Amino acid sequence: MAVPALHLEKVSKDFGRIIALRNIDLKVEPGEFLSILGRNGAGKTTLLNIISGVSRPSSGSVQLFGTDPGDRENKAKLAVISHEMFLYGNLTALENLEYYGRMYSVNDLEQRIKTVLHEVELTHRRFDLVAAFSRGMTQRLTIARAILHQPSLLLLDEPFTGLDQQAIGMLIDLLKSQKELGRTILLTTHDLHTAKVLSERYIILEKHQIMQDGLMTETNPDEIRKKYFSPLEKAEMS
Amino acid sequence: MRTAFSILQKDLRMEFRSKESILAMWIFSLLIFVIFNFTFEVSRLVMLEIAPGLLWVAFIFSGMFGLNHSFAVEKEDGNLRSMALMPVDGGQIYLGKFLSVTIIMLMFEFLIFPIFIIFYDLQLSFQMFLLIPVILAGTIGFTSLGTILSAVAVHTRNQQILLSLLLWPLVSPIIIWSVNLTGMVLGGGEIGAVFFPLLIRVAAFDVIFFTIAYMLFDFILED
Ligand SMILES: Nc1ncnc2c1ncn2[C@@H]1O[C@H](COP(=O)(O)OP(=O)(O)OP(=O)(O)O)[C@@H](O)[C@H]1O
Ligand SMILES: [Mg+2]
Repeated sequence: MAVPALHLEKVSKDFGRIIALRNIDLKVEPGEFLSILGRNGAGKTTLLNIISGVSRPSSGSVQLFGTDPGDRENKAKLAVISHEMFLYGNLTALENLEYYGRMYSVNDLEQRIKTVLHEVELTHRRFDLVAAFSRGMTQRLTIARAILHQPSLLLLDEPFTGLDQQAIGMLIDLLKSQKELGRTILLTTHDLHTAKVLSERYIILEKHQIMQDGLMTETNPDEIRKKYFSPLEKAEMS
Repeated sequence: MRTAFSILQKDLRMEFRSKESILAMWIFSLLIFVIFNFTFEVSRLVMLEIAPGLLWVAFIFSGMFGLNHSFAVEKEDGNLRSMALMPVDGGQIYLGKFLSVTIIMLMFEFLIFPIFIIFYDLQLSFQMFLLIPVILAGTIGFTSLGTILSAVAVHTRNQQILLSLLLWPLVSPIIIWSVNLTGMVLGGGEIGAVFFPLLIRVAAFDVIFFTIAYMLFDFILED
């Protein structure tokens, strides 16, 4: 059998006294689309940081494609989209992409830039400074930047935040086509319906652990919501 | 090399677009010169004694500003974290940032030096060309260490800022020697036998700082 795209064994992470993750075991096969659900502070972002190698687990082991996340080849295969934009406001959209393309040694860069700009519908704004972009446009450029080097593993941390309906539709289409290209995708979200549209598998993080690991087709998003999210929503309202 | 060059190109492009650093550095230094020139009524002889020190005060404070600015840009949208995610060598990132900071600082020094000459009414002489290697060596010493310390200060959380505070004094011998060397040149007399050995000593420290920082930068980028 092929090596899994991602293999976590007994991964724990704490920040001083704060426990973020406890004994996480997770295996994701190449081409899988996994949604990571959970409340604020459940450890979703921490989990993605550990997978991308920016944060080290306190204990346990992480492997991407059978090797350490910090390996050069793994970094080249990886794309991260988070609330941090990773863009320079004082550069134009085009200059940002050129810079990233060079850092990732992208082949045929000019053509790739054209393609991704088209995909996120920013071609007409390519000569504008990113500082002058709206939040949603910046987010779209972030997405373009992330797929520029044709990564095989995408880690998306709530990528729909700040996007309007049209942009959400665009990102959904884009993710679907990434999936068709055989990319492995991990997505954290609070939006169960979008998660259901995109992914076949989901996990729920609760109390620093994986509480549920199941298939989207076998679940009803509303049930999950009731079970894991509603008490907090109520608590927040009162 | 390509990686370092891409970072350099990006930094210089942003700097020329905003001119933020250089302008702020320039005004800041001007202020230092003005304040020291007009608030202290000292004889010309004393002024000449302290002029080299003032020049380096202007250089260093402005350099600090340049360093901060250069890394604030990286921090803004988590770019330093994105650098840690890139499939590139930490040393290359260090080299790129070091080069851009150094070039910007040297450009500023080139712009402020004529002002310095005018303010302190210094005699231009052929000997002043000796300031070129002095300023180069002193600046590189400052930026080679400053680059890695700024990265530490920006990237890590509070407790490690202490580390950078503790490490800054490392750069002081370089500054002191640079001031001495500058004084020897501006003094106008014969360049003594101590000048070149001292210059070489500064250059040697440059090489040491640079090499260590180059090798350590990978660790800095990790959380
Ligand atoms: N750098 C850090 N230092 C200290 N504690 C941290 C740090 N990062 C995360 N934590 C803690 O770890 C826990 C998990 O945080 P994390 O950001 O992973 O949650 P999350 O599931 O992404 O939440 P959200 O839905 O709000 O994005 C929280 O209790 C948080 O306070
Ligand atoms: Mg989060």
